[in-house]
Amino acid sequence: MSDSFQDLARAAEAAQVSAYADPDEPQSPNVPSKRAQTIVGSGVLLVAVGLAVGALQIPSDSGYGGVGPNFLPWLCAIVLAVCGALLIWEARSGGFRHAADPGGHAKADILSFVWVSAGLLINAALIGTVGFIFSCTICYVLAVQGLRRAAHQPQASEIGTWVKDVITGLLISAPVFWMFTQFLAINLPGLTQTGWL
Amino acid sequence: MDIFNALMAGFATAITPANLLWALVGCALGTAVGVLPGIGPAVAVAMLLPITAKVDVTASMIFFAGIYYGAMYGGSTTSILLNTPGETASMVTAMEGNKMAKSGRAGAALATAAIGSFVAGTFATVVVTLFAPYVADFAVKLGPPEYFMLMVLAFTTVSAVLGQSSLRGMTALFVGLAAGCIGMDQISGAARYTGGKMELLDGIDIVLVAVGLFAVAEVLYAAMYEGKVEESQNKLTRVHMTKRDWKRSWPAWMRGTLLGTPFGCIPAGGTEIPTFLSYATEKKLAKGEDKAEFGGKGAIEGVAGPEAANNATVTAALIPLLTLGIPTSNTTAVLLGAFQNYGINPGPQLFTSSAALVWALIASLYIGNVMLLVLNLPMVGLWVKLLKIPRPQLYAGILIFATVGAYGMRQSAFDLFLLYGIGLLGVIMRRFDFPTAPVVVGMILGPLAEAQMRNAVSIGEGSWWIFLQRPMSLTLIIIVLAVLIIPRVLKRLSEAKQAREASAA
Repeated sequence: MSDSFQDLARAAEAAQVSAYADPDEPQSPNVPSKRAQTIVGSGVLLVAVGLAVGALQIPSDSGYGGVGPNFLPWLCAIVLAVCGALLIWEARSGGFRHAADPGGHAKADILSFVWVSAGLLINAALIGTVGFIFSCTICYVLAVQGLRRAAHQPQASEIGTWVKDVITGLLISAPVFWMFTQFLAINLPGLTQTGWL
Repeated sequence: MDIFNALMAGFATAITPANLLWALVGCALGTAVGVLPGIGPAVAVAMLLPITAKVDVTASMIFFAGIYYGAMYGGSTTSILLNTPGETASMVTAMEGNKMAKSGRAGAALATAAIGSFVAGTFATVVVTLFAPYVADFAVKLGPPEYFMLMVLAFTTVSAVLGQSSLRGMTALFVGLAAGCIGMDQISGAARYTGGKMELLDGIDIVLVAVGLFAVAEVLYAAMYEGKVEESQNKLTRVHMTKRDWKRSWPAWMRGTLLGTPFGCIPAGGTEIPTFLSYATEKKLAKGEDKAEFGGKGAIEGVAGPEAANNATVTAALIPLLTLGIPTSNTTAVLLGAFQNYGINPGPQLFTSSAALVWALIASLYIGNVMLLVLNLPMVGLWVKLLKIPRPQLYAGILIFATVGAYGMRQSAFDLFLLYGIGLLGVIMRRFDFPTAPVVVGMILGPLAEAQMRNAVSIGEGSWWIFLQRPMSLTLIIIVLAVLIIPRVLKRLSEAKQAREASAA
């Protein structure tokens, strides 16, 4: 059986799921830097501290059971603190073990990220006032613009593309709104009380 | 005979025109989300969870189940036709399927995948039909200590055994467990981690976490790191299998099914192990000309076996979900959330308290498998057209559906901001190779496990020895330890052996 497992390992590697068993081996350029890994480990540690601080405010009254509502929060805080410390240690000593290539480019495209984020956040801020259809259209247009820029589409900023994106956004969000509000009776905010806009 | 009668009653419910329509829409939608990159069954079910507020429980569970296994059929189409492997389950199919498609045999690969999925799905449904009631009967006898240990077993396998690193798996699991703590404690009523915000008193909804981690994170990740995806699509040929293809596929389907079903039944989860094992077995057993096709022209056994194993595992995973209330994957965790929205807690009582629902659901699995075979064989050309949707438009469109799921649940803009935050977390997790399934499973199963643990310790009058004093619970502890220790020992031994061989050479 061992032969075929070796073949399998090779096949898996060919399918781009190569794992790096040995921390001394060079990692793929897409695997984040050790510094970034240290930051993530520290983040986990920070979450643990936050959980512990929060757990202090949870009553420990356990009734006759012996285990109170603050038990699991403390357990999470302690385990995450240990995990955070170990992650930092891994990051400092050769990087996260067996970190698979996450795929994509080595550097983040911040501009595209800002476009998509703006779409999502504006959607959250406006949905209550301008209604589902318009809010989601704005979200769609900003996100698709960001994704077009990420894909290096030169036509992204052309006026024709913008118009096309606005129309597509409306053509998706309006039927979705009608389907959910009219047929499934789910409450989604409209601009008017008609149920159609 | 009881089972037969119950199943027939289930069919009577499932074949009402309305329920058939729900099943059909579910299967079609499931196939579509399986085919489309960037969106899977867990997130599709999560986005549609708001319908639980209005739609009858039987109809919506039939609908969700349709999405659940429809996605498995659809996933293989993408992995065979596109040269970018998607999720792990279909990655094994992609290895040989892609090679077959490149050498002009895409049709045969698609056919063997669809028929294999049907054979395995139907067999596993028979297993669910026959064994689930017995498992439920047995599970009634389990007390809180045993339940808690079963859940610990599920946590352990999801976080520490599957995936590349136990440390990152454990981190993800405990992040999920901590997220599950937010809100009102269900036993004492104490508020935990709400920070005085009323919105958090009900806890974080599973929809937000699933949609944020999978859909929003996927879109953000695509914008940040993927940019232009160079994709080449293989040509679709006529969906047809020759006599030789049939002869080679049958045994592979059978072996895949037999491998996959038991893996689904145990509360351990994951389709990776059975699909990889099936691939290895098929490769080992192939002879002569057939063997030469592995890794070259693409061997049909390498598609048939893993695809059958995948579907068998996924279908059989309904046994731990329905009888024990233990989800072992993202999608079953979200399905558990759907049950909870109706105030139903899957578990041994489900077969008595909601017998009509369970049997209608099981009957719909048989019906759904037939529907999917039809949807995926003659109509495969239709689904392939979905692959032509340009990525920017597809991904931006996903965000609209994500908004419906997240906002439709509670009509709170706060949830949309939270959704964005969870999306960012998802990007970090993907980039740094943290698994996401433990977060979702931990979050949904955490509160249940906590309740069982506290009840168990109460039964033990405050003593933790209760877990060691009961034979079944002790057995489960030993299994958990074995699952944790044995793979590590084996790895150490093989490393030591390799080192010895290297030094001898």
